[in-house]
Amino acid sequence: MENKNFFKRMFTGRKGRKLKEYLTAYLFIAPSTLLIFIFGIFPVGFALFVSLHKWRIKRTDMIGLDNYVRAIGNLAYVLVFALGVGALVGVYFLIRRIIKMVKENDDQPWLCIFPGLLYAAITAAFLNWFYRALPEVLDIADKLRGLERTQEVFMGLLREALRAETVVPAWRLFLWLLLAGVVIGVLVRRFYQNRRNMSYQMYFALIFAALAAGVGLLYYTYQQVNLAYVEAMAEGVDPGIWPQFITISSGAFLLILAWILWDRAKKVESSGSFAVHILAALILLVGAWLLIGEIPTIIASGDENLWEGLKVTVFFSLGTVPFQLMISLFLSILLFQKVRGSNFFRIVFFIPYVTPGIASAAVFQQMFSNRQSAPVNMVLRFLGIPAQQWLYEPRGIIQMFGEMLGLNLPAWAAGPSLALAVIMLHSIWTYVGYDTVIYLAGLGNIPKVMNDQAEVDGANSWQVFRHITFPLLSPTTYFLSLIAIIGTFKAFNTIWVLRSNLALGTTDTFSVTIFIEFFEKLRYGYASALSFVLFAIILFLTYINNKTQGKRVFYG
Amino acid sequence: MDNRQSPKQKSHLFSVSTRRKIVTYIILGVGAFISLVPFFWMISTSVMSLGEALGSTFFPSELHFENYAEAWRRAQFSEYFLNSFLITIITLSGELVFSILAAYAFARIDFPGRNFIFTVMLSTMMIPAMVFTIPNFLTVTWLGRITSIPWINNWPALTIPFMGSIFSIFMLRQFFAQVPDELYDSAQIDGAGHLRFLLQVVLPLSKAPVMVIIVLSFIGTWNSLAWPMLVTNTPDWRPISVGLMNFVNEAGQEINLTMAGAFITIVPILIIYFFTQKQFTESIARSGLKG
Repeated sequence: MENKNFFKRMFTGRKGRKLKEYLTAYLFIAPSTLLIFIFGIFPVGFALFVSLHKWRIKRTDMIGLDNYVRAIGNLAYVLVFALGVGALVGVYFLIRRIIKMVKENDDQPWLCIFPGLLYAAITAAFLNWFYRALPEVLDIADKLRGLERTQEVFMGLLREALRAETVVPAWRLFLWLLLAGVVIGVLVRRFYQNRRNMSYQMYFALIFAALAAGVGLLYYTYQQVNLAYVEAMAEGVDPGIWPQFITISSGAFLLILAWILWDRAKKVESSGSFAVHILAALILLVGAWLLIGEIPTIIASGDENLWEGLKVTVFFSLGTVPFQLMISLFLSILLFQKVRGSNFFRIVFFIPYVTPGIASAAVFQQMFSNRQSAPVNMVLRFLGIPAQQWLYEPRGIIQMFGEMLGLNLPAWAAGPSLALAVIMLHSIWTYVGYDTVIYLAGLGNIPKVMNDQAEVDGANSWQVFRHITFPLLSPTTYFLSLIAIIGTFKAFNTIWVLRSNLALGTTDTFSVTIFIEFFEKLRYGYASALSFVLFAIILFLTYINNKTQGKRVFYG
Repeated sequence: MDNRQSPKQKSHLFSVSTRRKIVTYIILGVGAFISLVPFFWMISTSVMSLGEALGSTFFPSELHFENYAEAWRRAQFSEYFLNSFLITIITLSGELVFSILAAYAFARIDFPGRNFIFTVMLSTMMIPAMVFTIPNFLTVTWLGRITSIPWINNWPALTIPFMGSIFSIFMLRQFFAQVPDELYDSAQIDGAGHLRFLLQVVLPLSKAPVMVIIVLSFIGTWNSLAWPMLVTNTPDWRPISVGLMNFVNEAGQEINLTMAGAFITIVPILIIYFFTQKQFTESIARSGLKG
């Protein structure tokens, strides 16, 4: 009775109703959040954990950055170093922001430093505990082998794993810090009553976390580089990492400096701006020269397959995205003119996109087969061109054209292989319908008045397209190109069906390379490291795309 | 080609606008032809004899419909079809229930941490699938070894990881947020809580996005390759996509059979597409995202 009353009281009144509302919401999102955490957020940390180990089916030694060094050479050290520097730059900006906030509101939030520091420490302690507990918990599966899989046995083993020598102190530290954090957090709220109290606490927490991450990463790079030096010296070679460090860092620094100067120059008056522009360009040249000179040597020791995969992916992007967008833009403009049967055409163009990729790839595989009587070879024969190997042809298309004309082109000018070209055709064939539908939606959003007005002013249809339709479609184009470029980095299914050993890996994009490392060579640690490299590239591309295109996009 | 464009005024047989229309139709017709020609070739090859299929004809002289029976039997399609259907149904039942609940909370209840949790979840959409594949494979193996049901070669590995779908939540949330607040206020006056409001008012209004999620999830299962390849090594729970790929590799040069197999796997998707095509295309265009 007593209990029931308590609950009843808890959920009545304004506060009670609010509490009930919150609880409902948390219950509603709980299953999805849990699943997305286990299979969408935790894996990122887990993959990082795997990538730092020698892990071939089973976890063995912790090897630090070795997997990354194997993939991208000594550039790995430089990138981790850059991450550390990035975190410290973040600290600088956060401090500037806090100071601005303090000045604007005339606050004295310095008491909030303590809870902030504690929150950062709590996070670090939790990560530390997690990092120590994870291997123990993973080992439960091995210990269970041969035992009956009941809940009690599992719980027993779990308890045992969490009570391991290395785990317990980390857990205690976390608990103590958590307790201290709660106490101090509440106390500070009492003593420093301010509407922005929580934001200050969070800002300080972020500053300390970023500071710790930055310093930690820098120290880690230093340690790892020293380790590499020791190992190399034992074999009597000079790894030369520090000089590479200096060149690349200064190159990158100069590039950033040039970028900042260029940005500033826009605000200066015309005469001064010209000089600043020239200065920026000079710095840019020097920085770029340093980087271009150094990067090839630094990554030369990396994995050849990876660079090959990257090259294939770049070819794949350049060979599909622009064509696909141009064709679909053209088709959508034709369809938009209210032609009879436009709905029919829209349905037809969309069919390749909804068709399961594996099935349509199986069809393309046979249409572009190397048989003399394969459909595409028949068409070629009709045109008087000899039959081709198509999906089994590792030679580049430019190289093949050259040979047809009797030219002998250098290896770097070979271009994508014919096999890859077929895969590109399949990709374009698949996505044109999708892009067309999105473009049609974009065209539908353009107010008709604008076109009419332009026509009244005597613009012909090309001028209307060039000066009105195309600029107003730029958000759509931007969206589609971003999706398509990222899509080429993710592409896997159809390539997996269409690839053949005879094409000598000229069709293996980055994703396929990773999958082969994982699925066929069973190098889990190395494959995880590669997947992080892929992630970094996609992040970088998105960022660049935002910076360069985002500004030019015209949002009506 | 569509040649019905008979001009209305005979004197201007080829006026400027008619000529433009004809050119438009020719271009659209060529586009439609290119979109469809692989399908024509697939269907025509699938009813040829093997000799004809490897030969240079484009049309079969006799129709060998028994190829379909042969492909169906050799590729064990009945088993794979059943597997794919089961996987889709199990995934969908979890995904729909969980996503509808979560999307409702994100759209209509203001709770502490709402934006933070949603942003964190949304940011996982940026991460390439390859980053997840390896750790999730390890997680699933681990889960299979500590729980009483096996996960590998069984339905849990193929369905449970896909039940939490931020894409579905995102799409439903967009839709739920448009439901007018007055409806909720009046429902509240009638004594309905969130759950009843969701089930009796919001859901009946949301048939279109739910339909889209069903179709996209169906297509997703039909298309998934890397993950099922990893977590199945017997045909027991293998979906149709892996089944078709194995059949294509096994049957090799018997292309009349592989084309029949390919057509069999395409048919269900095409049927669904034609029945839902309006909603389907529109939702993809509006949400601007794909599964």
